[in-house]
Amino acid sequence: MRTLWKRLIAVFAQRRSDRELSEEVEVHLEMRAAELREEGLDPDAARAAARREFGGVEQMKEVYRDRRGVPWMEGLAKDARYGMRGLRRNPAFALAAGLSLALGIGANTAIFSFINTLMLRMLPVEKPEQLVNLYRTGGWGKGYASYPLYLEFRKHTDLFAGVFARSGAGKVRFDAGHSNSVEYAEREHVSGNYFEVLGVRPALGRLFHDEDNRTPQGHPLVVLSYDFWRNRLALDPAILGRVLMVDEEPMTVIGVAAPGFHGLEVESHADLWVPAMMFRGQIMQPGMHWVWIMARRRPEIPRGRLQAAANTIMQQYLMSVYGGQRASAFGRFALEQKIEVRDAGVGISMLREAFGKPLGILMAAVGLVLLIACANVANLLIARGAARRREVAMRFSLGATRWRLVRQWLIESLLLALLGSVLGLAFAIWGERYMLLFLPQGAGEGFDVAPDGTVLAFTLGISILSAVLFGLAPALRATSLDPAAALKDGGSQPGRGARAGFRKALVVVQVALSVVLVVAAGLFAHSLADLRSIDPGFVAQNVVTFSLDYPRAWKDADKVKHRERLLARLGEVPGIVSNSYGMPGPYQSGDASASIRVPGSARTAKEGVEISEQAIGPAYFATIGIRPLRGREFSQGDLRSTRKVAVVNEAFVREFLPGAPDPIGRILSFDDSKAEGGEPAYIVGLVRDILHDGLKTRAKSTVYVPLRENPFNFDPMLLVRAQLPPASLLPAVRRVLSRIDPEVALVEPRTLRARVDDSIFVERMIATLSGFFGALALLLAAIGIYGVMAYAVARRTGEIGLRIALGAAPARIEWMVLRDGLLLIALGVAIGLPLSLAAGRVSASLLYGIKPNDPSTFGLTIAMLVAIGILAAFLPARRAAAIEPNEALRHE
Amino acid sequence: MVLRTLETMGPQHGFGLAKRIQQISAGVLDLNQGTLYPALLRLEQRGWIWSRWGASEKNRRAKFYELTRAGRKQIGRETDEWERTVALMARFLRAAE
Repeated sequence: MRTLWKRLIAVFAQRRSDRELSEEVEVHLEMRAAELREEGLDPDAARAAARREFGGVEQMKEVYRDRRGVPWMEGLAKDARYGMRGLRRNPAFALAAGLSLALGIGANTAIFSFINTLMLRMLPVEKPEQLVNLYRTGGWGKGYASYPLYLEFRKHTDLFAGVFARSGAGKVRFDAGHSNSVEYAEREHVSGNYFEVLGVRPALGRLFHDEDNRTPQGHPLVVLSYDFWRNRLALDPAILGRVLMVDEEPMTVIGVAAPGFHGLEVESHADLWVPAMMFRGQIMQPGMHWVWIMARRRPEIPRGRLQAAANTIMQQYLMSVYGGQRASAFGRFALEQKIEVRDAGVGISMLREAFGKPLGILMAAVGLVLLIACANVANLLIARGAARRREVAMRFSLGATRWRLVRQWLIESLLLALLGSVLGLAFAIWGERYMLLFLPQGAGEGFDVAPDGTVLAFTLGISILSAVLFGLAPALRATSLDPAAALKDGGSQPGRGARAGFRKALVVVQVALSVVLVVAAGLFAHSLADLRSIDPGFVAQNVVTFSLDYPRAWKDADKVKHRERLLARLGEVPGIVSNSYGMPGPYQSGDASASIRVPGSARTAKEGVEISEQAIGPAYFATIGIRPLRGREFSQGDLRSTRKVAVVNEAFVREFLPGAPDPIGRILSFDDSKAEGGEPAYIVGLVRDILHDGLKTRAKSTVYVPLRENPFNFDPMLLVRAQLPPASLLPAVRRVLSRIDPEVALVEPRTLRARVDDSIFVERMIATLSGFFGALALLLAAIGIYGVMAYAVARRTGEIGLRIALGAAPARIEWMVLRDGLLLIALGVAIGLPLSLAAGRVSASLLYGIKPNDPSTFGLTIAMLVAIGILAAFLPARRAAAIEPNEALRHE
Repeated sequence: MVLRTLETMGPQHGFGLAKRIQQISAGVLDLNQGTLYPALLRLEQRGWIWSRWGASEKNRRAKFYELTRAGRKQIGRETDEWERTVALMARFLRAAE
C-alpha cells in the first residue's frame, strides 16, 4: 500500500525527482573519479573509468523511472499533460466544446440538485428509512391530524417502535432581550418523545422526554436548533437555563439539538421546539387538526400489513368519536377520513407532490440537452480527428499501439468533460438561484439546494459518462487508418464515405432530440398561456395584500378597532383607491366552509350542504376590482346590524336557486338542523364567480358574510387597491401602521398578482425552463448542422469548383448543398415526431387546457425548427455557390 | 545486503554503499555500480530506508540513505529466513551425499 502511495506521489513529482537522480549519479561519478585521480589517473581518464564502472547511466535511469512510478498512471498523467497542451493550442475548439458541455452538464446538475433536495436526501436522524408519516386524508385538509388521534396510534407499540407528533414550524415573535424591533423565530410544537424516537442527540444540555409534556400549559421549556443558537445567539455557552420570550411567553432553554438537525421538513426549518402541551388551544379536541403524526416502524412488519392495521385503527377511532353523528352530513364527512402510511425518511415536503413530476420531466429534458451537446462535441472531435490524421499516423509508425492512442484520445475527452463540469457547476449554481425564484414566497426559504456530495458525485458521473459518449467513437475512428496512406497524402484528405455518414447520423439524432424538446417547450408555453388567459374573476393589478401580527395580549375587540383605524387612515393616503379585508381571502392558503340550508331549494330539502364561505369587510369587491352583478356589497352598517346578510355568487344560484335569476331578497340559513333552516340570512347581493383558490380550480358555490366575530382566531388578510403599482405604496402603508401602533407588524406583504403567480408556479417554471432548454437544443442542433455542412462544402471545394467551371449556376450549387441539409433535417423531424408524441403523453397531466398532441403547437414548433435548420444549412450553401473555380482547382 | 551495510555503517551515500559492498564481497560480486540505485529506490518505496540530502566528507551535496525502524526489523526477518534456507539446503545436500 505504502509502495503504491509513494509511487503515486512520484507520478506527480516527476520532473523534480528526475533532476535529483541525475544529481545523485553525478555525485557518485564525481566521487569515484576523485578517488581514481588520487590513485594517479589524469582527470579525463578518471572520469571515463568511473563511468565504465557505473555502467549505462541512461539505462539505469530508465529502470529507475519505471520502478519509481506506477507506469500506466504515469502514462495517464503524461497523456493528460499532452491533452492539456493540445487544448491550449486550439482554444476555440476547447471553448466551443467546453461551453456546450457546460450548458448540458450544468442544466443536469441544477435539476438534479432540486431532485436531490426534494426527494433523495435523507434526514439527519437515526435510521431515517424507518420513519413513516401517518398521513390523514379526506375531510378538513390533508396531512394534519388531531392530538387524540396521535395518542391513539401511540398505543400500538406492536406496530411501531415509536410514534410522535409535531406541529410543523410556524413563525412566532421571539425576544432574547437584546433587540427593540419585533423579531421572529420558527417554532414547532412536538410531543415529548420526538427527539428520542428520531434518535437526535443534544449538542448542549438535554432534549425533551415524555415528562416534559404532561400537563397543558405546564412546561415552559424550549430546545433550540444548533443553527439558531449559532446564528441568533452567537453560540452563547450560558444559554442553558436562560429565559427567552417565545410567542411572548417566557420559556426556559433546556438544550440545543445536534448540529444539522432542523426538523423534518425539507423547505422550512424549525428554530426552536416547545412541548406540544404548550399549544394554546383545545389540544384534546378531535376536530382540531394541527399535528403531523409520524412513527418509526418496526422493520419486521411488512408495508401491506402496516397499512391494513392503520386502516383498522383509524376506523375504530373514527367510530368511537363520530359514530353517534353517523346520520348527519358532518358525521359522514368526518367518517370519510383515512390514514395513509407514507415513507418519511427524506422528510416532509409540501412541494414534493406538486413539484415531483415536473422535476422528473425537466430531468428528462436536460438529459436530452446533454445528449445533444455530446453529439455536438463528438462532431467537433471527429473534425479535429480528421485534421490530426498525420499526427496519428506518425505515432503509429513510431510504434504506438492502437489502445495507447485511443486512451490518449479518451483522456482528452475526459479533460474536456471536466472543463465542462467545472463551468457547468458554476452555471448550475446560478441556475438553481434562478429556479428558486419561481417557488412561492416563503416556500423556498429553507430549501437548501447547495450542491452536496451526492450532487458532486452525480456531476462527476455524468461528465465521465458523457466523455465516453462523445469521445469513444471519434477516438476509434481517428485511429482506424492505414498509416502509410495517411502519411503519403499529407493528412489533407480525410477519408470519405463512412466518416461523413457518421457525422450526418449524429446531426440527425440532434435534430430528432431537438424536435422533442422544442415541441415539449411549445406545449408547456401554450398551456401556460391558456392558464394566464383564465379570468380569475377579479382584477389583480395594483392590489397589495398583507396580514398583521398583533401582540398576544390583544383581544379580538382591540384588533378590530386597530384594523378599522388602519383602514380609515390608509383611505386618506393619496394613491390608495380602496381597501378592505377578507378571510381566507383570495389566493391565501386556507379554506372555510359552512353547511347551509336554502329554504325553497330542492338541493337542501333533505340535508344541509357544505359550501365555501368567505368572511369579508366592506368594499371588498371594489378593492378586488369588481362590482356586484345585482344588489350591493356590505356596508359598515352590516357589520353592526343584528340582521344577518349574505352575498352569493353565480355558482351558488346555479346550484341552489336554478331558474331564479335574481336571488336578492331570498334567504339562506347557517343553521342546517332543520329543512327550512334556522335564523335567516338575507341575500343582499350577487357577484360573479371568483376563483379564490387557484386558476385551475372550478368555481365553487360561495357565500360571503360580513366578518364580525372571529371564531377560529385567524386574522383576515388586508387588501389595498392603488392607482399605481402597489410596491411603491408599501412604505406609506408601513408608516401609517407604525404611527398607529409600532407593536403591530406587517406580515407577508405581496401583490395579488404575485399570489396568483405563486398558484401556478409549477406551470411557470416548467414553461420557462423547458423553453430555455428547447432554445438551447435548437442552438446546438443548428451549430451541428452548420458544422457538418460547412465541413462537407470544404471537402468538396474542388468538385464544386469544377462544376462551376463547367457552367453550373450558383443557384444550382446552393440547392445541391441545401438539399443535403434539408434531408438531414427531414430525417431528424421524422424520427423526432413520434418521440415527441410519446413525450407529450407522459407530460399530459401537467398540461392545462390543451391536448398533448395539440396540432397547432406541433406545427408551429416544427416550422420554427425547420426554418432555423435551413438557416444553418444556408450559410455553407452560400459559401459553396461563391467558390471561385480558379482558386478551387488550383488547390486540388 | 544493502540493509546490512547500512546497519553496520550508519547513514551512507550511494557511492559509499557501492564501494563498501564491493569491498565486502571481495570482488566476487562485481555488478555495475549503477544497478544499486534502482535497488535503493525499491527499498525506500517499501519504507525500509529513507533518504535525505546532506554534505559528504568532502563537503559535496549528496543523498544519504539510512535505515528506518521497519528496515531494521526486516533485516532480522530476512536473516532468519536466510539462515533457515541455508540450513534446509545444507540438510538436503547432506541427505544427498
